[in-house]
Amino acid sequence: MNSAPRKNVARRLLAHSTGRWAVGVIVLMILAAIVGPHLMPYSGIEQLDIVRLKNSPPSWAHPFGTDQYSRDVLARVLRGARISLAISTLSVLISITIGTAYGLVAGYAGGATDAALMRLLDGFISIPRIFLLIAVLSLWNPVPLTALILLLGATGWFTVSRLVRAETLTARTQDYVQAARALGASDVRILWRHLLPNVATPVLVAATLGVANVIALETGLSYLGLGAREPTPSWGSIFLDGVDFFAGNWWVVLFPGIAIIGTVLAFNVLGDALRDVLDPRQLHGTPMTEAAPSMTESNPHG
Amino acid sequence: MRRLAARLLQSLIVVVIVTTISFFVIHAAPGDPFAYDSANITQAVREHWRHQFGYDRPLLEQYARYVVSVLHGQLGYSFQYGEPVTVAIRDAVPRTLLLAGLSLGLSFLIGITVGVLQAVHRDGWFDRASSAVLLVFYSLPDFWLALSALMLFAYVWRVLPPGHIVDPVMHDYMSGWAALADRLKHMILPVGSLTLLTTAGIARYQRAAMLDILPADYVRTARAKGLPERRVVWRHALRTALTPLVTMLGVLFPAILGGALFVERVFSWPGMGSLAANAIGARDYDLVTATVVVGSIMVVVGNFLADILQMLLDPRIRE
Amino acid sequence: MRNSPPSHHRGRSLLLAGALAALSACTSKETPVGGGATGGTVVIDAPSDPSTLFPPLISEEVGRWIQDLVFDRLAQIGPTMVTVGDKGFTPELAKAWTWAPDSLSIAFSIDPRARWHDGQPVTAKDVRYSFQLFTDPKVGSSSASTLTNVDSVSVRDSLTAVVWFKKRSPEQFYDAVYQIIVMPEHVYGKVPMDQLRTSPVTRTPIGSGRFRFSKWDVGQRIELLADTANYRGRAKLDRLLIVPADPQTQVARVLSGEADVMEAFPSDQTAKLDSSKVAAAVIWPTLGYAFIGMNLHAGATSAPHPIFGDARVRRALSMAVDRQAMLTNVFGKLGLLSHGPFAAGFGLADTTIQLPPFDTTAAKALLDSAGWKAATPGAIRTKNGKPLQFAVMAPSSSVPRRQYAVLIQAALRRVGAQVDIQIVDPRSVMYPKMNSGDFDAVINAFNPDPSITGTAQYWATGAAPPNGQNYLRYANRDVDALLDSAAKSFDPAKAKQYASRAYKDIAADAPAIWLYDYVLVNAVNRRIDTAPFRVDGWWVNLPDWSIPQDKRIERDRIGLAPAKP
Repeated sequence: MNSAPRKNVARRLLAHSTGRWAVGVIVLMILAAIVGPHLMPYSGIEQLDIVRLKNSPPSWAHPFGTDQYSRDVLARVLRGARISLAISTLSVLISITIGTAYGLVAGYAGGATDAALMRLLDGFISIPRIFLLIAVLSLWNPVPLTALILLLGATGWFTVSRLVRAETLTARTQDYVQAARALGASDVRILWRHLLPNVATPVLVAATLGVANVIALETGLSYLGLGAREPTPSWGSIFLDGVDFFAGNWWVVLFPGIAIIGTVLAFNVLGDALRDVLDPRQLHGTPMTEAAPSMTESNPHG
Repeated sequence: MRRLAARLLQSLIVVVIVTTISFFVIHAAPGDPFAYDSANITQAVREHWRHQFGYDRPLLEQYARYVVSVLHGQLGYSFQYGEPVTVAIRDAVPRTLLLAGLSLGLSFLIGITVGVLQAVHRDGWFDRASSAVLLVFYSLPDFWLALSALMLFAYVWRVLPPGHIVDPVMHDYMSGWAALADRLKHMILPVGSLTLLTTAGIARYQRAAMLDILPADYVRTARAKGLPERRVVWRHALRTALTPLVTMLGVLFPAILGGALFVERVFSWPGMGSLAANAIGARDYDLVTATVVVGSIMVVVGNFLADILQMLLDPRIRE
Repeated sequence: MRNSPPSHHRGRSLLLAGALAALSACTSKETPVGGGATGGTVVIDAPSDPSTLFPPLISEEVGRWIQDLVFDRLAQIGPTMVTVGDKGFTPELAKAWTWAPDSLSIAFSIDPRARWHDGQPVTAKDVRYSFQLFTDPKVGSSSASTLTNVDSVSVRDSLTAVVWFKKRSPEQFYDAVYQIIVMPEHVYGKVPMDQLRTSPVTRTPIGSGRFRFSKWDVGQRIELLADTANYRGRAKLDRLLIVPADPQTQVARVLSGEADVMEAFPSDQTAKLDSSKVAAAVIWPTLGYAFIGMNLHAGATSAPHPIFGDARVRRALSMAVDRQAMLTNVFGKLGLLSHGPFAAGFGLADTTIQLPPFDTTAAKALLDSAGWKAATPGAIRTKNGKPLQFAVMAPSSSVPRRQYAVLIQAALRRVGAQVDIQIVDPRSVMYPKMNSGDFDAVINAFNPDPSITGTAQYWATGAAPPNGQNYLRYANRDVDALLDSAAKSFDPAKAKQYASRAYKDIAADAPAIWLYDYVLVNAVNRRIDTAPFRVDGWWVNLPDWSIPQDKRIERDRIGLAPAKP
C-alpha cells in the first residue's frame, strides 16, 4: 500500500488552499537562508560601530535596524535562518530516525519485546521534555551547537515511535507481509522493503510538524538563556537580545519574531496540508489515537 | 479490576524508569554543590561535607542510596533553601497543579466545544476562522504569548497585576474576601495564557477526531432513527470522540507542565517550573532531580487517572 | 579588611567623601533632621534571593543589605570615611572605648541599653563569641583572613570586651570594629560550629539593629520590620520588603511604582527615569572596578598559561580593545573609565597612570612578535599549531559584564583571537573556578574597602586563594613590598606614593584589561525621602528613610500590625 505517486502529491499540495502558501513561505525562508547572507554587506556578527550605531531604528542602510551591539539585524535574521533551520531539520532527522527504528522493532517483534519497549517509552514520555532539556543544558553549560542538536533529537522521537509502531502492528498482519515471510524473506528485508514505506507518510507529516516544534522550542530555550551561544545568531537568541530591551527597541523583537512565527506557522500548515493530501484513507483507517495530530511532536509546549 | 491493577503496576514501573533516568542524567553532570565561593574553607572541610551528604561515593552507590531515601519519602537536601527537598517543593507542587489543572480543565472545555462546532459546521465561516486563529496561537512560542499578555494587560493597560501569585506586599493584610479576590486576579493572566496555548492543540486534535467519527455507521443509524441532529452529534459522537481525547491526556500532561514552566517564569508564579529553573542555576542537584522526578510522577498519576476515566467512559474497553 | 567578593558593592574612601557628597546631594533628597511621623513600606527589588542570612557566610550583596540592617557593629565608620586610627568612627554597640598604653588592646564598653531582638541584653560575651564565629575554620568565613592581626577577645565584665592585637597597625581599630558583626551567643552558640552552615537557626537572624528580621518566603520576599524599642531609635519606616526579580522585570516594576527601589538601573536608559513621574535616578558611586582578568597560570597548575603567560600577549590584547567605545556602548554617558586596579574615587588612586593605548596595528605587531601569527589576514592566529583561542567567563547576574563579553569577543576577533563566552552562575560555577584556577579569563569586579590592604587582598602574592582573592595568581615581589610599605605608613602622603608605584607596576604587567569603575544609578520612588547614600552601601542609611504623610500610598498605611494568618 504505497502512497500516491510523487508527482501527484506535489500537484495536489500546490492546489491545496493553504498548502501552497506554506510551501511558498518555506521555500522563501530556505532561499533566504542559503542566499541571503551572501547578499548582505554585513555579516550580522560584526559589530559595526558600538558607539554611534547602537540600537538604531530601521533605515535605508539598515532595513531592520541595529541591535545593542551595533550589529545589523537583517543580516542577523538571515544568518539566523540558516542556523534555526539547520538546528530544527537536523534534530528532527535524528528524531525520526530513532523513532522509526524503535517503532518498527516494537511493532514487528510484538509480544513481550513490544510490551517492554512500550513501557520504557512510557517512561520517556512522562518526563516533560523541557524539564529534562533545561536540566541537561544548564548542568553541562556551556553546550556546543552539535550537542544541542543531538539533545533536541534525542528528546523528540517518542510520538513518532508510537505512530510507527501502530502502523507496523496493522501492516504486519497484511497478506503480502505474511506471504513474504512464507517465502523466507529475512526480518530485516521485510522491515525495510515492506513495512518502512508504509510508515513514510505519517512520519513525513510528523517530521514537518516536528520542525515547527523545534524552532519554537529553541526560541524558548534561548529565552531561558540556554540556546545557541554568542555570537551565533539563532532566531531565538536574536529575539532574546531584543526582549531585554523591549521597551523602545521594537525592531529587535519584531523582525525575528515575524521570522519565527511565520516559519513555525508555515511548517504547521504544511504538515496539515500534507496530511490532507497524502492518501487520507491510509491515515484515518488506523486507530485514531495514533493517526490524528498527536500532541507532543507537534506541540511546542512539550 | 485486573486491568486496573495491571495499569497500576505499569505506572510504578514507569516511575522507576523515570527516576533512574533523571538521577543519572543529573548526577553525572560536572560541578559540585560544595565548591562554595568562600576560599577560606579548607579542602578538608569540603570533603567532610561531601562525605556527610554522600557525594564522594561512586555513582551507582549514590543511586542506591537515593532510591532508598525516596522510598522513605525523602528526596534529598536542598542547599539553596537549606532544607529538605520535600519541604522546598511542598508549597510549589500544589501551585503548579492549580495552574496546570485549571488550564487543562478550561482548555478541554473550550477545545472540545470549538472542535465539535467546527466539525458540525464543517468548512463554514466559523470553522475556517477559528482554525486559522487557533493555528496562529499554536505556532506562537509559549513565552511569547505569556510575555505579550503580561506587557499588554499589566503594563500598557494596567488592568491586571503583573505577576506573582498574590500581591507581595498587601496580601497578608487583606480580609477574607479581598484576599480571595487578590488570588483570583493574579490567576487570570497565567491561567489564561496557559489555557490559550493548550486549547489550540486540543481543538486541532478534536476536529480531526470528530471528522472521523461523524461518518461512522452508528451515527448514521441514529440519524436514520429520526433523532434530532443535535442529539446525535453531541451525545453519541462526542462520547466516542472523548475516548481518544482522554488517551491524548497521556501526552498532554507533560506538554502542559512544559508550558507551565515558561508561564511560571514569565509571571513569577512560584511553582515547580520556577523552582526547577532556579535550582538548575544554583547546581542544587537534589532539588533538580526532584523537580524532574516529581514532574514526571505528576504525569504518570495523571495518566493513571485518565485510564480510569477512559474505562468509565467507554464500555467497550471495560470488557 | 573584609574579603568583599565582587558581586556586591561596598567601599569607603579616604578622601572621596567631599566630592561624592557634592555629587549625590545634587540628586538625592536629604531627610529633614527629626523628620515626620514614622511609617511606610518600601519595596526593594533584589537581583536574587540571598543564599544565607548568617553573617560569617554572607557573600553576595543582598545578604549584606540584610546583615547591615539587622545587625550592628561595635562602632560605625563616620562620614569622613577615614579608616586610619579611630577618630573617624562613631559609637554604635560600643558607646566608648579605651586604648591600652601600648596600643595592643582596646577595651570596648557596650551600650547598656542595647538589646537583641528577642529582648536579651547585648553583653561582652557576645563580642567574644562573634570573633570566634568569624575566625573559626569550621565555620569557614571569608572574613577570617582579614582578622589575622586580632589575637583574641576577652571579657573583662559583662559590658566590657577587650580586643587584643598581635601588633600595632594604622587600621587595627578598623579591623576590629568593621570586620566583626556582633551576634548573640545565646542564639547561635547552641549549635556546634561545624553544623552552623546548614542549621536552620541561620535562616532567622536575630540581631540588634534598627530593623529586625520578620520572615523569609524563599524566592518571594524577605520582610524586615522596624525595631521599635531599639537603643538608637527605631527606623522611620515601618517595613522593608526585599523582593527578588530579574533585571528586566525590575525596570518595569520600578517605573510602574510596584517596586520602590532598584539598584543598578541600566545606565544607558536613565532618560526613562528623568522623564518618569514615579521614580528618579540617584547616582551611587562606589569603590568598585571591573576588569577582564587573565589567568597567569595554566589551569590549577603553577606552569605559566600558554597564552597569558606572555606579557606581550597581555599587552597586545589590552591594546586591541577600545575601552572608551565599549564604555559608551554599555553605560551611555554615565560610565567612568577605569585607570587601573582601583576606582577613581579611591583615596590612594592615581589617575595619571598610563595604560596601554587603543592601537590595533600595534596590537597585531606585538602578537606577531610574540610568535602568534595568522596564516592569512583575518584568520585566527596560531603558535606551534595551537590557536589563539580562550574562554572568557562572565557572571549571569551582571548585565553590563555580559554585554562587555560580547563586545570583547568581537574586538579580539579583529586581531585574530577567538573568544568563547561562558555566561555562568557566579556562586556555583564562577567562584569555584576562580578559586581553583580552572579558567582562562574572567570578567570580574572587585569592591575593596578604602584601605590599601584592600588592594593587597586582591593583588598580593600571598593572597592567592584560599588565603585571599588574588584569583589571577598575580605575583610580583616589588608590588608586595610597596603595598606593604603603604599599609604600614601612618603618613597618608607617603602611603599614596607607595601605592602609586605599586599601581604603576601592576599596570605595566597588564594582568588585566581595566574596564570601568562601578558607578551605579539607583532608581528610587519619588515619594520617598531618602537619606544620603553612603559610599560603602546605599542601603546603610535605610533606617533614616521616610515617607511624608501626604505622599503615602496604600502599602505605607499598613502599620506594624502582624499579618493575618
